[in-house]
Amino acid sequence: MSKWKPLEKMKILGKKYPRIDGAEKVTGRARYTYDQFKEGMLYGAILGSRYPAAKIVKIDDSMVWSLPGVKAVLTDVHPTGRVRYVGEEIAAVAATTPEILGEALRLFRVEYEKLPFTLYLEEAMKDEAPRVFPRRSNVNKPRIREEGNVEQGFAQAEVVLEDTFRTQVQIQTPLESHGSMVYWDGDELIIYDSTQAVHGVREGIAKMLDMPLHKVRVICHHMGGGFGSKLQPGIYTVIAARLAKQANAPVRLMLDRQLEFLTTGNRPDSLSRIKMGAKRDGTITAFFAKTYGTAGIGNGAGVRLPIVYSIPNVRHEHHDVYTNAGAARPFRAPGCPQASFAMEQMMDEMAEKLGMDPLQFRLKNDSNPTRQKEWMIGAERFGWHRRKVTPASDPGPIKRGMGLGASIWWPGGRGTKASMKIYSDGSVEVFCGTQDLGTGTRTHIAAVAAEELGLELKQIKVHIGDSNYPRSGASGGSTTSPSVAPAIKNTAEKARQELGKILAEHWNVSPEAIIFSDGYVIASGEAKQRLSWKEACGLLETDVLEVHGEWSEGLSSSGVAGCQFAEVEVDTDTGKIRVLRIVAVADCGLILDRLTTESQVNGGIIQGISYALFEERLFDPQTGAMVNPNFETYKIVGTMETPEIEVILFDEPERGVIGIGEPPTIPTSGAIANAVYNAIGVRIKSLPMTPDKVLQALANQKA
Amino acid sequence: MTTSIRFLLNDQEMDMTVPPGLLVLDLLRHHLEKTGTKEGCKEGDCGACTVLLGELTDSGMHYRPVTSCLLPAGEIHGKHLVTVEGLNLNHLTIVQEAIVNEGATQCGFCTPAIVVSLTYGLMEKGANFDDEDVKYVLSGHLCRCTGYASLLRAGKLIQQKAHSLTPSATQSENILQLIEKGILPSYFSEVPEKLKRMASIPPGNGHLPSAKFIAGGTDIYVQEGESLPDLAVTLLNLFPEMKGIVQKGKNLHIGALTTFEEFAAHPLIQKAIPRIKDYMLLNASLQVRNRATIGGNIVNASPIADMVILLLALNAELILTETSPTQKDKPMRRIRLRNFYKGYKKLDKSPTELVKEIVFSIPEPDEQIHFEKVSKRRHLDIASVNSAIRISLKDNIINQIHLSMGGVAPIPLYLSQTCDYLSGKELNLSNIQEAMEIAQTEISPISDIRGSAEYKRLLSRNLFIAHFCELFPDQFSLKDLLNIHG
Ligand SMILES: Cc1cc2nc3c(=O)[nH]c(=O)nc-3n(C[C@H](O)[C@H](O)[C@H](O)COP(=O)(O)OP(=O)(O)OC[C@H]3O[C@@H](n4cnc5c(N)ncnc54)[C@H](O)[C@@H]3O)c2cc1C
Ligand code: FES
Ligand code: FES
Repeated sequence: MSKWKPLEKMKILGKKYPRIDGAEKVTGRARYTYDQFKEGMLYGAILGSRYPAAKIVKIDDSMVWSLPGVKAVLTDVHPTGRVRYVGEEIAAVAATTPEILGEALRLFRVEYEKLPFTLYLEEAMKDEAPRVFPRRSNVNKPRIREEGNVEQGFAQAEVVLEDTFRTQVQIQTPLESHGSMVYWDGDELIIYDSTQAVHGVREGIAKMLDMPLHKVRVICHHMGGGFGSKLQPGIYTVIAARLAKQANAPVRLMLDRQLEFLTTGNRPDSLSRIKMGAKRDGTITAFFAKTYGTAGIGNGAGVRLPIVYSIPNVRHEHHDVYTNAGAARPFRAPGCPQASFAMEQMMDEMAEKLGMDPLQFRLKNDSNPTRQKEWMIGAERFGWHRRKVTPASDPGPIKRGMGLGASIWWPGGRGTKASMKIYSDGSVEVFCGTQDLGTGTRTHIAAVAAEELGLELKQIKVHIGDSNYPRSGASGGSTTSPSVAPAIKNTAEKARQELGKILAEHWNVSPEAIIFSDGYVIASGEAKQRLSWKEACGLLETDVLEVHGEWSEGLSSSGVAGCQFAEVEVDTDTGKIRVLRIVAVADCGLILDRLTTESQVNGGIIQGISYALFEERLFDPQTGAMVNPNFETYKIVGTMETPEIEVILFDEPERGVIGIGEPPTIPTSGAIANAVYNAIGVRIKSLPMTPDKVLQALANQKA
Repeated sequence: MTTSIRFLLNDQEMDMTVPPGLLVLDLLRHHLEKTGTKEGCKEGDCGACTVLLGELTDSGMHYRPVTSCLLPAGEIHGKHLVTVEGLNLNHLTIVQEAIVNEGATQCGFCTPAIVVSLTYGLMEKGANFDDEDVKYVLSGHLCRCTGYASLLRAGKLIQQKAHSLTPSATQSENILQLIEKGILPSYFSEVPEKLKRMASIPPGNGHLPSAKFIAGGTDIYVQEGESLPDLAVTLLNLFPEMKGIVQKGKNLHIGALTTFEEFAAHPLIQKAIPRIKDYMLLNASLQVRNRATIGGNIVNASPIADMVILLLALNAELILTETSPTQKDKPMRRIRLRNFYKGYKKLDKSPTELVKEIVFSIPEPDEQIHFEKVSKRRHLDIASVNSAIRISLKDNIINQIHLSMGGVAPIPLYLSQTCDYLSGKELNLSNIQEAMEIAQTEISPISDIRGSAEYKRLLSRNLFIAHFCELFPDQFSLKDLLNIHG
């Protein structure tokens, strides 16, 4: 299979073009799982545990059944009857109208035997803390990463700094909650799911229900965001399928916002104790970190330290800690924003100690050639030279500051398959079992196919979001574009070659002479023959040209670099931080579409600001319930808090397609924290940086 | 309990029987299969369910964006309900096209409602639709994907296209132009006639007054939403005599059903409280302010209710009436707002009593008013602490003063001892400092989700000072302010 054309020769890729499903979305015609409806459909709801730790002694559903409209009830939803967090699924109901669901849930009589619980990371780490799992310590065995020799590294260091940083639990909060609409067609199960992985969900659900794969079909045409929380099959889908079976009717079960907050994943929190050593010339010689994080009852609370910068001698011990809270799930760049918040502040502290400019210090310790260029581009555009050397030097209560941070990402593409049909009237269909989370996958597929066939975007009909289509992986880890784009290119190239062969025969020229361009098929060289695309396809007569292709090496790559600069304003009277401006340089490889790429970067930054300033899961220590499982009290950034954002897309088309979705959310909180320090001269070492922490820090500094 | 309602849903005349307390969002999605209107939170916070509610007024049609997840179906009788489907044309409208072309939709779940709000912006502002308006109409929407930048750019594109409109003063003139330019569907021009025909039919006989009052619904649906469709409820908005603002002698009388937006837009209020529009921007979102009533804010009795804090400082009084608002010869009762609150959510009010009017004296030329609010997020957030002041001076002696503070006690607090201390005193630093100490003894903040007790104490000091710095910048410099801190 051949390489990508040079960017100058591209007609579509690398440019700006509107998404092909835009019209559906702006008219409200795009149908999400939430909008799926089938005649006779019932509405399902899940009863979540009221207590953070309890044994379910008995669930009495007789009252539930007495409510008119109730058609199916499950009381054996929980596998062990020992619940470990508030909201954990214990029973379910399906009814004819959604309005009675609330009442139906209230009518379950559940007898609990309450058990002691532990909610927060540092509390759960104490010896006397109640155990989340009776036979296991809350603090997991350490995972250790070691490179070089830290002792020697610190011995070489002329300056050694130690500090501690904390980050909070953040919730993905896609606007469309998790859920499914399911129905049985004989012994086949059809699932509309709001998911990031139609194939993954099929495989998962088939296993959970002990069904053969070919009897489960998962469909997701449009979905309202996931950010990592919708990568896995949901228990709600299994529950919906069982309710549907019991009632012999389709069931739609979407989680309400509260259960969404409690049960569908989160970004774990972190506690990072760091020690870093450097030489006077600015070379970092050693890095030691001991970190903890809680993924609730799950694992995977790792903190990816040290992040970004190259350090020869490293030791990092990490412990996952169990708490009585919903399990974490991947969330945009798992493990990275936590690490970056700590790392970037540590870098600034060290730079200050060494009397170096923070940017110079980074340049010295950053071995990534792409980022070396990006730092300079970003600094220039941002006006880094205008940064105050002395922190807190603005007169008056409102103070401004500047800071920076870097981003990084690793994975690239993996196997994806696709197929294409070309019909004799010239219409083209592409089939691929991937899905579009809003990242533009559907549009990118059309673009890659159109580019290859010399057609326009609108001539390609794209079919995705169905497990009946050729297998593609989950849309996560920023792997979708580097997985899907090469597969589509290869498939389209194959189709082009097949069609080329037919035309070569028709014109009696060699297949190499056939060119596809601007809606025409041309025999180059002597022959100078030319047919419109439609005419050319007419040669297929009654036949359909169908080809299959897949991902191959060489069209995508891994490894992503980037950096961000932030300017903030801090009101030292109220403690409020306002982000004024962000300049981001994003590593893009071969850009599929500038519009969706830029939007991804913007979205990542806004989530980063939201993480830095507002978002935080909070529990009531008495009851163990989350006190802010709603958008009223769990705040995310809105338009009024949106700063001026400048996104610089750094193209390196020769690297092929890379994933760009996750890296931009990594450095924002650290860059803001550094800017806050530059503004007020005190470090805020815990997220979110709320007004009370800022005021407290200022008060402590005075004292 | 059900009621029959006739209304216009987009271009369709509807005649239905529904529970009056059924949410319009549920009506649309579950009963009418209008799935362009989305549900993101069902608490008024995300804006994904935004629709336009159009009413026939003396000056033609008037539309407002509202969150359908807090809107009782019984209230749309005789009105025009517009969903995204009702804005669609054969081609994309300039609003839709701008969103597509700027990449301002990703997952798209928030998008239909954003189309509704931006179209409202055009209806309201026409040729004058500017950057601030774009942010303003979008401020009640959450988008987890796009990072808003592309939406703001789309807003710019829309503005450019809107420049070809002729500036006009009213929504209905703008609407005619938008129809002419192919931006709004043509059926909008027939709406007034259709509504006139419908409005002549009185609301069905289901509106039996019950003591379950719903005004704007923005508190009660969040608190007890699920049960309301099943209950007998009284939709107060069906009694418009409780709306409106009039001057009687030296007083302003505010109908309890006056919404936050109507309050801030009223010329009499703008004259009395010159900066009311700025203050209002800090409250809720446009969609919620279009529904939230002053009476509801008072009766809900949240200790940080923004309008209550303002009204306490205005030294407002309430007029309460027993039983139904339409009944003749109803007994009336007048009470100072500051005496209305007896404890956390405890009121000097019987369950069947209605707040009918709010009365306050029009500020004299020498009186000044100011309101301050601090919350985690600047907009669409409940206050951590808020505070208001009404003050007049004579030769630098404090003639009259009213101070209130929210979020620092179980009730919205009128700082009576602080006011007593300050009245008759000279306006100077040491008196302010002393007053601030007295205020600290009056408040009793507790730690909660909006901040720790210590933080709220700190804030309360800062807001206290902020009033004087804001109102008397010549007397209280920044330097004094910083000193007083220490
Ligand atoms: C997203 C969102 C943001 C918000 N932001 C803010 C904010 O920034 N600041 C703020 O102060 N509030 C805020 N609120 C709360 C709410 O909007 C206000 O308290 C509003 O004023 C309530 O008025 P309402 O008409 O909607 O009340 P309703 O919900 O209709 O009623 C509230 C209570 O008052 C009773 N009631 C209403 N009117 C009367 C009457 N005339 N006589 C007797 N009883 C009556 C009802 O029976 C009910 O018990 C917000 C709400 C939401 C959903
Ligand atoms: S559904 Fe979120 S505001 Fe109505
Ligand atoms: S586009 Fe996904 S929430 Fe706005």
